[in-house]
Amino acid sequence: MVFFEQLAGNLLYGIILGAVYGLATMGLSQIFGVLKIVNVGHGAFIMVGAYVAYWMFVLYSVNPILSIPVALVIGLALGLGIFYIVIRRLIGAPELASLLATFGIGIFIEEVAKFFWGPDHRGFSWNIGQVDFGITLIPNTKLLAFFSSVIIALILYMLFQRTRIGAAIRAVVEDREGAMVCGIDVSRIYAMSFGIGIAMTVIGGILLTLFIPVGINPYMGGEYTLKAFVIAVLGGLGSPWGAFIGGFIFGLLENGSYTILGLIPGVEPFSLTRFVAFSALLVILLVKPTGLMGGE
Amino acid sequence: MKKYIQPLLPVLTLYIVLLGAGLSIPGLWQPIAFIMFYVVLGQALNMFLGMTGYVDFGYVAFLGLGAYGMALAFSLFTDDGLGSGIIVVGFLMAVIFSILLSMAVGAIALRLRGAYFAIATIGVSEGFKYLIEGARLWGGSEGIIISSQLRDSFGSEMANYLSTFASDILIFAIGILAAILTVYTLHTRAGYALMALREDEDAAKVMGVNVTKYKVMAFGMSAVFAGLIGASAWTLKLTYVFPEDVFNIIYTVEAIVIVMLGGAGTLAGPVVGGLIYGILRYYLATVLPGFQLLVVAPLLVLIVTVFPDGVVGYIKRKLKGSRFSKYVI
Repeated sequence: MVFFEQLAGNLLYGIILGAVYGLATMGLSQIFGVLKIVNVGHGAFIMVGAYVAYWMFVLYSVNPILSIPVALVIGLALGLGIFYIVIRRLIGAPELASLLATFGIGIFIEEVAKFFWGPDHRGFSWNIGQVDFGITLIPNTKLLAFFSSVIIALILYMLFQRTRIGAAIRAVVEDREGAMVCGIDVSRIYAMSFGIGIAMTVIGGILLTLFIPVGINPYMGGEYTLKAFVIAVLGGLGSPWGAFIGGFIFGLLENGSYTILGLIPGVEPFSLTRFVAFSALLVILLVKPTGLMGGE
Repeated sequence: MKKYIQPLLPVLTLYIVLLGAGLSIPGLWQPIAFIMFYVVLGQALNMFLGMTGYVDFGYVAFLGLGAYGMALAFSLFTDDGLGSGIIVVGFLMAVIFSILLSMAVGAIALRLRGAYFAIATIGVSEGFKYLIEGARLWGGSEGIIISSQLRDSFGSEMANYLSTFASDILIFAIGILAAILTVYTLHTRAGYALMALREDEDAAKVMGVNVTKYKVMAFGMSAVFAGLIGASAWTLKLTYVFPEDVFNIIYTVEAIVIVMLGGAGTLAGPVVGGLIYGILRYYLATVLPGFQLLVVAPLLVLIVTVFPDGVVGYIKRKLKGSRFSKYVI
């Protein structure tokens, strides 16, 4: 019985973390959906978000939730800057070029972070009590992260479905040349989509810091790049909403398998969880590369 | 025969010059061995990335498995009295491991195109690292240390010789082998098929080229060379294997930079790329220790955006039609 209680507790935790995973992956899917570029340096932007949360908290005592607007501005600026300097030249280039370029950008950002802030693990603790769910205790900060993720995802949904800009972005995804003929400035849409995608990722990084007490360091992103790939593929690469739902599935899978793998004696369940995640990625890619929710 | 020898001449000359300089000038052997590692690493990756246009972000896994193959040979068979045959067994295990992994990855990932392939390859190498750590396979995160087995098998003097000199010579040998194989492949049916599929996979398929067969072939070949490099440049040279080190993604980045810098798909490209990168890296290690990637990463971005043909690709284009064009392929 203890096991089931533990499993239920971990699954609940998985849902809460899954919402943040989902938000942190939407940018990757958004960029792939519009620009057809896989941002292999995705994790570096999550790391940037984590450092924004850290410095805002340590230097100005601003809590991570209130830092979200700061992250939005930094993310947009970073995204637009990178777009106009590099990505713009790679639209329509062979896939090899964009894969290698985003890979290089990601590593460069990590190295810059390491150069200025050092390689050490940092962390901060923001404690505002917790809620007892009977099976497990969940800190309020994590619940706040959960609700923030859901609200931001909803705002984005409204932005895409209800505004002219959103309609223009959807038109470009659907048919680039058709959109151009209709008078949509496609290169501006590319720039905006890249900017928004990066901003969402940076915000995701802010919220993730509420789950990793001392895990902020320049190389933390690599892990999330991989997780984001799994999640994006789960949700059908290219669909931000698919990615958001994929985040929940991944959170459940990760935390559920952790509990179960912990029963096997003599193994490190934490490492094995990741092995399970990557095996799942390969199986999905092999069986249904368009993702669980993707179409043909 | 001439068509094979001509393009090999510049590459082999360079090897001989490096080897001669390393042997005759005191203190230069280790730096040259350091540079050669990058030259040969580029050659190995070029067999796949250069010839097919597919990126393998998990390439380091082959080096890692090769390193483990050699280490396992020592930790399993030291007491069996194989003598120096144990190194042969080690290389055999390295090759077998790399082939097995390339088959496994190939069966899954090579069915996928472009971005999906790249994503799948990251999954494989990371998954493998976590399997070794998580299931405590092959010593888990503590790795395997073979220095005492080396001493038991060969005596301390010979063991020292093996790790400071013989392992570097082996890298030269692997490099020469890789160059010959690359030239040969470029002139065979397989080479033409690979060129066709790199330019336009669908068109190649329609023309009746068995693209999967040639992709798997190039992938396997590239994997075997990576395994050999891992076995000699890491296990034999350093006498230990840690999963964190041998699955470190930095080697994948470096290999990609070398291939792109020199010119993907050319014979001399990775050699020139490796030479430039190796020297750059050697000096960066003294000027900016620990921050080599700070320079290398923007370099990669710069190459792919403004200079996608690489050094040798550029030279090749300039020489087209002249009598030197036969020497640069």
